[in-house]
Amino acid sequence: MYKTTGFFSFALRRITGVALALYLFLHMWVIGSINQGQAAFDDRLATVQQPIFKFLEIALLAAVVYHGVDGIRLLIVHYFNVAEYRRSLFYAVMVVSALLIIAGGLPMLMFALGGH
Amino acid sequence: MATNGTTRTVTIRLQRFNPDVDKKPVMKEYTLEITSDTTILDALEQIKATQDGSLTFRRSCRHAICGSCAMNVNGRNTLVCNQRVNAHLDRKGAVTVRPLPYLPIIKDMVVDRTSFWEQYQRVKPWLVPPDDVPEKEFRMTPEEVAALNDAEKCIMCGACYSACTVTAVNKRYIGPHALLKASLRVLDPRDTITNERLIEISGNDGVFRCHTIFNCIDACPKKLNPTQAIETLRKLAQKREAFVAARKERQKSL
Amino acid sequence: MQISHTRIFQLQRLSAIGLVIFLTTHMVVAHYPPGHLDFSRVIERMAYPLWKGIDILLLASALVHAVTGMYMVITDVEKVGRYRQVLGWASIILFTVAFIYGTITILAFRLPAETVNLIP
Repeated sequence: MYKTTGFFSFALRRITGVALALYLFLHMWVIGSINQGQAAFDDRLATVQQPIFKFLEIALLAAVVYHGVDGIRLLIVHYFNVAEYRRSLFYAVMVVSALLIIAGGLPMLMFALGGH
Repeated sequence: MATNGTTRTVTIRLQRFNPDVDKKPVMKEYTLEITSDTTILDALEQIKATQDGSLTFRRSCRHAICGSCAMNVNGRNTLVCNQRVNAHLDRKGAVTVRPLPYLPIIKDMVVDRTSFWEQYQRVKPWLVPPDDVPEKEFRMTPEEVAALNDAEKCIMCGACYSACTVTAVNKRYIGPHALLKASLRVLDPRDTITNERLIEISGNDGVFRCHTIFNCIDACPKKLNPTQAIETLRKLAQKREAFVAARKERQKSL
Repeated sequence: MQISHTRIFQLQRLSAIGLVIFLTTHMVVAHYPPGHLDFSRVIERMAYPLWKGIDILLLASALVHAVTGMYMVITDVEKVGRYRQVLGWASIILFTVAFIYGTITILAFRLPAETVNLIP
């Protein structure tokens, strides 16, 4: 593969994109249990709140945040003539995503480890 | 060969492939003396002359204008005739040269560029001027000329096409070289088949297959910007009818 | 019906902007601070028609983005190219079914009759 920052961001975008699309349908299936009544809903929701899922949700947050911030970068490239700053933009996406993932992930990690 | 006196010994690692003998490409190392002025092409010529006459590669002008000698040096596509060996040595004093990636290898550094030229022809890279040619000349504004300026410098070396991740998995994709040329013709106020061009480039294999990976810009030895050309074409494809109408209006005053 | 890549591109950009707005809202309001989720917590929010409206818009954006994205990922492979018409129809059907199912789900969040007067 021709490895550049552009290829790396593309690969991450593809992987997170496909993962998120699959998650969307899983999410709809979980929430869809409300159609069988309140008890079924609480039951299925409890299943997906076992400790392992709490850690997986942090990975989910990371995927959502990266995919979203990277998408904003693509909008910037589309509307402004900034292709020459492609590497800076890539690192900016990485830094912004990392900050948002830490900010959002820390409370989730505390909760997963048994906090409130 | 120009020299400033000091020489050093380096290792040139070449990917060799002879379709008559080899099942798949093999890496071979060659040791030779270079000066600070030796280009990678010079080194290849030297290996061919003194070590292995069967080494096959394309080259012609040695002035970075014919576009024959695009190869993959240390994982990056570039012309080898304007790159000094010294600038590409890794920590062990070696440089690795392979043919352009993602294209079928004919022999050693020579790749089959059929798909490259087929996609180029597909966008009709020539200008289709109005039927009634004026007596003296077409009058374009400086801004209109400036917009075309960059794309005309393309030397068709294939570095961007071969670096593109999209063409790697899909040879039907028109490719950055042809889309850059298409933008050159679409933006040209003299062109009369703008509508047809925009329909072709906005189709299944066109500009919307580009995933803005920027490999084409990284690879281009002429520092051109196919990605921006593609973004421009994307904008024009979305307002095709208005753009074509404006073009017809513009041509009345050429 | 001819699949227009210009339309796919526009749908994807439009739904992307929708997602940035609605998904951020959704994640902050529905999942922060992280805590145990059950019907009683979800219904606090879902009892309001405005939230149902926002969630339906979120659902539409997410589905459009996911379906167009998957279509582009799959048809990027050269050999799949000849099935793109079939894949296009499959995408439209998938979107329609999932959107109807999701909308029914969102509208199914109703306060049980005996607790209606407990929530102001």
